[in-house]
Amino acid sequence: MASDDELLREQVVSAWRPRGRDGGVRSHPAWHDLPERERARAYDEAASARRLEAALDPEGLSTTARAVLARLRLPSR
Amino acid sequence: MAGGDLDQELPAIRGGDAGAFGRWMAAAEPELRRALRPLAASVDVEAVLQESLLRIWQVAPRVEPDGRGNSLLRLAVTVARNVAMTELRRIRPELTGDEVIARVQLARDAGNAPALPDPHLRAAITQCQEKLPRQPAQALDARLRSGGAEPDETLAERLQMRLNTFLQNVTRARRFLLDCLKRRGIPLEEL
Repeated sequence: MASDDELLREQVVSAWRPRGRDGGVRSHPAWHDLPERERARAYDEAASARRLEAALDPEGLSTTARAVLARLRLPSR
Repeated sequence: MAGGDLDQELPAIRGGDAGAFGRWMAAAEPELRRALRPLAASVDVEAVLQESLLRIWQVAPRVEPDGRGNSLLRLAVTVARNVAMTELRRIRPELTGDEVIARVQLARDAGNAPALPDPHLRAAITQCQEKLPRQPAQALDARLRSGGAEPDETLAERLQMRLNTFLQNVTRARRFLLDCLKRRGIPLEEL
């Protein structure tokens, strides 16, 4: 059975992030509940996860890059 | 492994080519994330990184290469630092300006040429992925297909899993892949 910290950490590893009222990218709600030592660990696991994702993606894009591309305001041309 | 000059994508990015920006991000993201490592306890690096990449897309049409290589990546490091400072001020309003500056120190060699991807890595990971147990495979696949667009609650509901079960399955899947790669002689530090 995973601990509460492990479950919070796995949520933070996800590339999904909420948007603020100004449209800006906001911290994951679970990140605020993580103790500081767990935040550093979440960073390391996210970095590892993104490498795996990019290696599995046909265009070499991680879910971070996919999330950003989905939010681009493309020029009208 | 030595990397190349990512500014080769800059003309197309300046012209609004999202595909070129994707190729730039594929190479720049690991280096930019690494630069933010010292801030991991103070800010949500994933949020800072995504916001910084969105701002880089917005300012890219006005960026002129300075001839030293990786101009856009070096600018992205500066933008990321500024975004991190703004975020830290927002979530820790009690900190003084000097305290914020002291906390927002990036990795010293940030902005270096990024390493090039190993062409054999994808084949090895794909082979490991095929051996994943069903539920971890479903959970990992849901994360990948979503591309960061949906929260885990939505993905779990779609798979008819409880959120905690979904999260445990994603963790299991990633550990399985890393263990599988290790057995194939691909050390974790390469990832």
